[in-house]
Amino acid sequence: MKPFLFGLLVIGLLAWAPLVLNDYGTGLLLGLTGYATLATAWAMFSGPTRYVSLATVAFFGIGAYTVAVLSETLPYPLVLVVAALIGLSVSLVVGLATLRLAGVYFVIFSFGLAELVRQTVTWYEVNVTGTLGRYIFLPLEARHIYWQLLALLVLTLLIGIYMRKSRIWLALVAVGDDEVAARHAGVDVTRTKLALFALSATIITLVGAIQAPRWTYVEPTIVFNPTISFLTLVMALLGGAGKLWGPIVGAIPLFLLFEWLSANFPNHYSIILGGIFILIVFAVPNGILARLETLGQRRKGEAQ
Amino acid sequence: MSEVLKVDGVSRRFGGLLAVNNVSFAIEPGQIVGLLGPNGSGKTTMLNMISGALKVSGGQIAFQDQLVTGLPAHKIAKRGVARTFQLVRSLPSLTLTENVLISAAYGRERLWGAAALDKVAENLALVGLEGRGDEPVADLTYIDLKRMELARAMVADPKLLLLDEWLAGLNPAELQIGVDLIRRLQQRGITILLVEHIMDAVRATCARCIVMSAGAVIADGPTDQALADPEVIRAYLGDDDA
Ligand SMILES: Nc1ncnc2c1ncn2[C@@H]1O[C@H](COP(=O)(O)OP(=O)(O)OP(=O)(O)O)[C@@H](O)[C@H]1O
Ligand SMILES: [Mg+2]
Repeated sequence: MKPFLFGLLVIGLLAWAPLVLNDYGTGLLLGLTGYATLATAWAMFSGPTRYVSLATVAFFGIGAYTVAVLSETLPYPLVLVVAALIGLSVSLVVGLATLRLAGVYFVIFSFGLAELVRQTVTWYEVNVTGTLGRYIFLPLEARHIYWQLLALLVLTLLIGIYMRKSRIWLALVAVGDDEVAARHAGVDVTRTKLALFALSATIITLVGAIQAPRWTYVEPTIVFNPTISFLTLVMALLGGAGKLWGPIVGAIPLFLLFEWLSANFPNHYSIILGGIFILIVFAVPNGILARLETLGQRRKGEAQ
Repeated sequence: MSEVLKVDGVSRRFGGLLAVNNVSFAIEPGQIVGLLGPNGSGKTTMLNMISGALKVSGGQIAFQDQLVTGLPAHKIAKRGVARTFQLVRSLPSLTLTENVLISAAYGRERLWGAAALDKVAENLALVGLEGRGDEPVADLTYIDLKRMELARAMVADPKLLLLDEWLAGLNPAELQIGVDLIRRLQQRGITILLVEHIMDAVRATCARCIVMSAGAVIADGPTDQALADPEVIRAYLGDDDA
């Protein structure tokens, strides 16, 4: 009961925050919540299975673009549903085609997918609709967007908690360790991977859709920016992709750092960020949380 | 029910190599059958086809009177075929209990929660790993990993158990424990197809042996008879590294 009440309290505080924060603070919180959700959703599939996906921005962008295209024709909640359905369908098709690929081939494919989607959307806008950018006029303030993201993050965490108690988590970790052993234990490896990839991709699509009105003006290079994929991945790895709270623990410092760098070094921040990525992979390969755990155990060991 | 397993004219080709060539045999319930043969004779390939890890290039395989040819491995596992691997396959991120639990959770009975954990504990005890369920599997010794694999196979209450050199690499004392364990499994009514190079262990466990050489069956009968077959002796003597 205690963690439940504590959780409610934290959610309450976070929901209340934009009422007292200024615009900058609310915007910061919004961006952070967006990345925390992206990283948590990414780790839901990639953490246990170790299928490193760089397709995050493909789905994020699909979500954002769906809102840009449909926001004037459909009521907003329906637009979100349509975006989620498109993300789900694309992820099922892509997953069926690629989840047989192992290791580095999957990484490359997922990166290629994001580029493919971006180029396709650009081509379509230029040649068919004759527009390159779109305006989103939705009566949503930053805090409205933030509340939606917060709700999605809480939902994502609840799914994560539930998954870790159910047999699917065992199957996913087994897939990451040894697919052959998993199969002969009775796990339908293909279906398990596909289901989780699709779930993760749908949440990522929703993040893009919810965040879209923030931009007002949207074009493919903005919403399909590959930095989003890399940042998500590194946040999850920094905190620990195998742990429920890992991606959030990684998202907080990296997001703040990213904000600071892009404000102060607008021309060089991607180089600096690249260096930081490399450092993280070398210094904390299993994430901060796992590192803290080993430190904690060592301390306990010394005390005995 | 007549046969647990019926293999009918099964072949497997790898490029130009015919690794298994038109093999047929049937196994009655409750038997322990040895599958022998020199290195590279196609034993593991045969087990891989029965368990669905590999597709057959020709022929049919029936399990409990139903064709399973072409079914994916997880479906064959769910029907009650369990196996161990010649090179141990563990799930190193998980604990010993979890390594076994997965097979209870996704096996025939789809157990979860307390019932599944009880079953896991029971099978860990069966293989001599009692009370060690919380150990990370990455820390286990080779023999304990082999025990884990057997517990993982047994926890799903299989009808047919495929053992691929499960006794290999054990010292004489461990070997005796392993042989006793296999005999105890038979008393539970499990049918076992066992690939093995250690002849004393084969004699101690198998009433019947199937001997393969270069992909084909060259002898099939009571163990003493099969091992005394001139063609079998020739196949083994011709195999210098045996
Ligand atoms: N996946 C594969 N691809 C190509 N060739 C293979 C493959 N698996 C097995 N072979 C070949 O098929 C033949 C039979 O191999 P198999 O592993 O079934 O032999 P085995 O009887 O189990 O031998 P051992 O006693 O050494 O385990 C060998 O020549 C082997 O090289
Ligand atoms: Mg073999």
